[in-house]
Amino acid sequence: MEIIEELKTIDKSLINKLNQTAANKIEYWDIKCGVTTGTVIDFTDQKSKDISSYSVSECSIRAFLNGGWGFNVLKSLSKNSIVKGFARAIKLAQLSESLCKNKFKIKERDPLIKNFKVNRKKNLEDIDVEEKIVLVKNHEKIASGYSSEIKNTRTLYRDSILHKLFLNSFGSFIHQDLTVLRMFCVAYGKKNGIIQKAVNSVGGIGGFEIINTEKAKNLSFKSAKEAIELLDAKSPVGGKFTIIMDPKLTGTFIHEAFGHACEADLVLNKESILEDKIGEKVAIDDVNIFDDPTMGQGKRYNLPYELYGSYFVDDEGVPSQKTVIVEKGIFKNYLHSLETSSRMDDIPNGHGRAASNNSRPQVRMGVTILEPKDWSLEEMIRDTKKGILCEDFQYGYTDPTTGNFQFKCKLSYNIENGERKELLRDISLSGMTLEVLNKISAIGKESQMFIADGMCGKGGQSVRVCDGGPYIRIEDVIVGGLN
Amino acid sequence: MEDTREIFSLANASLRFAERRNANLKNVEIFFCKNKYFNIEIEENSVKNSEIGNDEGVSIRVIDNRGSLGFAFTNNIEKKSIEKIIKIAIKMMNAGTIDPDFKDLPNKYDNYPNVKGLFDKSLKDMKIEDSLIHVEELIEVCNNDKLAISQSANFTSDYSKTYIFNSHGLEVQGKDTTCAISSNIIVKNKVKNETSFGYDWQSERSLKNINAKKIALNALEDAKRNLNRIKIKSTKVPLVLTPNGSISLILNPIASAINGETFQYKRSFLVDKRNEIIGSKYLNIEDNALIDGAVGSSYFDGEGVPCQNKKIIEDGRFLKAGLLHNSYTAAKDGIESTGNASRNSYSSIPSIGVTNFIMKPGDFTKEELISDIKEGIILDYTGDSANISTGDFSGLILHGNLIKNGVIKESLNETMIGINLLDLFRNIDAVSKEFKLYGSYQAPYVRIKDVRIIGAA
Repeated sequence: MEIIEELKTIDKSLINKLNQTAANKIEYWDIKCGVTTGTVIDFTDQKSKDISSYSVSECSIRAFLNGGWGFNVLKSLSKNSIVKGFARAIKLAQLSESLCKNKFKIKERDPLIKNFKVNRKKNLEDIDVEEKIVLVKNHEKIASGYSSEIKNTRTLYRDSILHKLFLNSFGSFIHQDLTVLRMFCVAYGKKNGIIQKAVNSVGGIGGFEIINTEKAKNLSFKSAKEAIELLDAKSPVGGKFTIIMDPKLTGTFIHEAFGHACEADLVLNKESILEDKIGEKVAIDDVNIFDDPTMGQGKRYNLPYELYGSYFVDDEGVPSQKTVIVEKGIFKNYLHSLETSSRMDDIPNGHGRAASNNSRPQVRMGVTILEPKDWSLEEMIRDTKKGILCEDFQYGYTDPTTGNFQFKCKLSYNIENGERKELLRDISLSGMTLEVLNKISAIGKESQMFIADGMCGKGGQSVRVCDGGPYIRIEDVIVGGLN
Repeated sequence: MEDTREIFSLANASLRFAERRNANLKNVEIFFCKNKYFNIEIEENSVKNSEIGNDEGVSIRVIDNRGSLGFAFTNNIEKKSIEKIIKIAIKMMNAGTIDPDFKDLPNKYDNYPNVKGLFDKSLKDMKIEDSLIHVEELIEVCNNDKLAISQSANFTSDYSKTYIFNSHGLEVQGKDTTCAISSNIIVKNKVKNETSFGYDWQSERSLKNINAKKIALNALEDAKRNLNRIKIKSTKVPLVLTPNGSISLILNPIASAINGETFQYKRSFLVDKRNEIIGSKYLNIEDNALIDGAVGSSYFDGEGVPCQNKKIIEDGRFLKAGLLHNSYTAAKDGIESTGNASRNSYSSIPSIGVTNFIMKPGDFTKEELISDIKEGIILDYTGDSANISTGDFSGLILHGNLIKNGVIKESLNETMIGINLLDLFRNIDAVSKEFKLYGSYQAPYVRIKDVRIIGAA
């Protein structure tokens, strides 16, 4: 695979020079650099609001010494600038080291020398901007034309082509060639002074074929349909209810309420409810949760591309792998970066991820999934006297120190005497993570599973993630509402 | 791009290059931005990371006679790559749709307001080592406290320089500095095995206003106030918002609701409320870009338009002129831009944002606000935000306490609040003299009567 011109400045002679500079001064270093080009197409009410194209080169250098990190973000990929930046990163690491009281080493790993290229059928480079615009216009037309009550539509298309290089003091040299695409459709409906909004997105790693799936083709129709349905939805009555979460909400729940607490950096910083909980029972026996960001999973979910949250290697050169988090209700593993695995004497499992080549890796999830069991949604509903079926989410968050979570759902349905009844809107669910995991009373089957794509924010950085699972039913969840 | 003259000649050459390339071109804008920063990060109450970074880039915005916009950017500011993105931006423009509402980019302005204190030379020249004195203050607060078990915090200094040019002859340049400090402290009551966090932050234009010790002490106090948590029964009581709570429930939603674009698309709960009373007489809000030394201040906005001081809500009345516009949304309404085009990087087209968004303080002291309350709730922090199109707010009180007989008591677990913001605004019955500044937001303590609280007990 051909390395692009801009990244060829990093050759053997430069690496030798850097190793000489680093010798006896620091214990570890790595460099992330790359060139990213991309397109943004943003339409509102069938008019283009932003049609952009960009090209940015990024490079950052990280140095480590005995518990202290130095990080230097450069504005140029030139040899000269890298050599200078490297020296600066060393000085910064020495500064951190002189002040830090938590001394530790980074455990040596075998070098990884590899080229990775994501498979794609239709190269994004070969698709002209006009073709992308036709796609967006088409979605705008479908959403606007769905009903006269659709007052406002927005379609946002983003793609990027990434050439990345990672190298470190272990001797790793990893070149990656990736293309990523995501599209959003937003529809606003209005009736009798009430405005309701629905958003749907599709995202993946691969070529232009990502927009050819049934789900992608239905994106604007689905948003419009939901926005219109929500116009007639009722506001909920607050209280405690039996809740059935759809796969998207299940995914958000295990990601937000549980997954973040598994991130070892938060554990070390005493911001996790899962500190000292390895080997302990945290959920009912039927609960199995894992994070598996390996490539090649698209097929399992009938997608002709890679899952949006998957990757070949993390941003510290550790290959992605499946990590069991909860097995039969017992908490098994934290998610680690090089630093946290070194400090906690654990195996690095490939979760040191950065938002860009200009940002520092943090411990992040990849593709977080709750394993299915055998209930069908229909059986769950039939088996519920009084409850609420909650579909999809608007947003969610958790207090890391207590596990008190809150999710705002998109569409919800009342369940009475085993039957799905009227639509409700703006339902908020709240509870304490570790209590709720023990109140799960049914877990759905594999054929009704779904994996959703999204962006997850932490410490000012946003990375691609997926989460999902089957339908699940939970007893005694607090529902907030205006009535 | 050390030399300003170099930027000016590069910009002029680029404008001419663009104008030659396309006959339908109506206007070209060139936006340069240069930034350098450093950041020291504390984790587990110890310095973990020291970071220095540099960034510069340029973006081109072109519009044609049909009102179609093209945009492109790069972080390579060589003449050649600028010419390349000009060609790309024109290609994007040609591919765009007709928009008769897109009249033009801003004209040249003769006068700009004079706002002082946006740039602090001592911050620009500051070395990362110079920040250690502040960093140590943060660490010490946590070290000296028995309940504090950890702190994540950071100190950031940022210097940026911006240049905007367009083919109407608009030419502006400005430089500014910001310095920010934040502290997140974890406390643990070992007897009850209860953990909680507290957070505070400060952002300033000049270094001399930074008070690290105070920020860490505030975070610590906040964390301790959130220990001893209880669940309560659902109830209807007076609600006191701290300045932080007032920003979440009053200032933030209003800032979104008066955004010219949201308004024109009729996605704001204030759409039919212009010139009407929407709140009690205690609700007074302005957006003032001209305060000396304030973080949200500026003399020109993201398109080079002069900034202003605008009254938004006066004695509860939502003023007819109380909307925020950039040049596009203003022209659509047939008025002048209010100087609220917001753009903090070369990598995006201008959107609309507040400058310094201020809720005016009242006459009550903070104590007076609380002392009358037999039973009530004080809310400091929620992760939720209101639905801007309906004004409905329903959210979890992440940091909040019970008030009993005028005294702040236990903190709340799994307690939610549900209210429509118009009811909230109308039911404001007291506002404090004391106020707090969080970056470009300033808010007092606010009391609201009869708020529905959903408890889990």
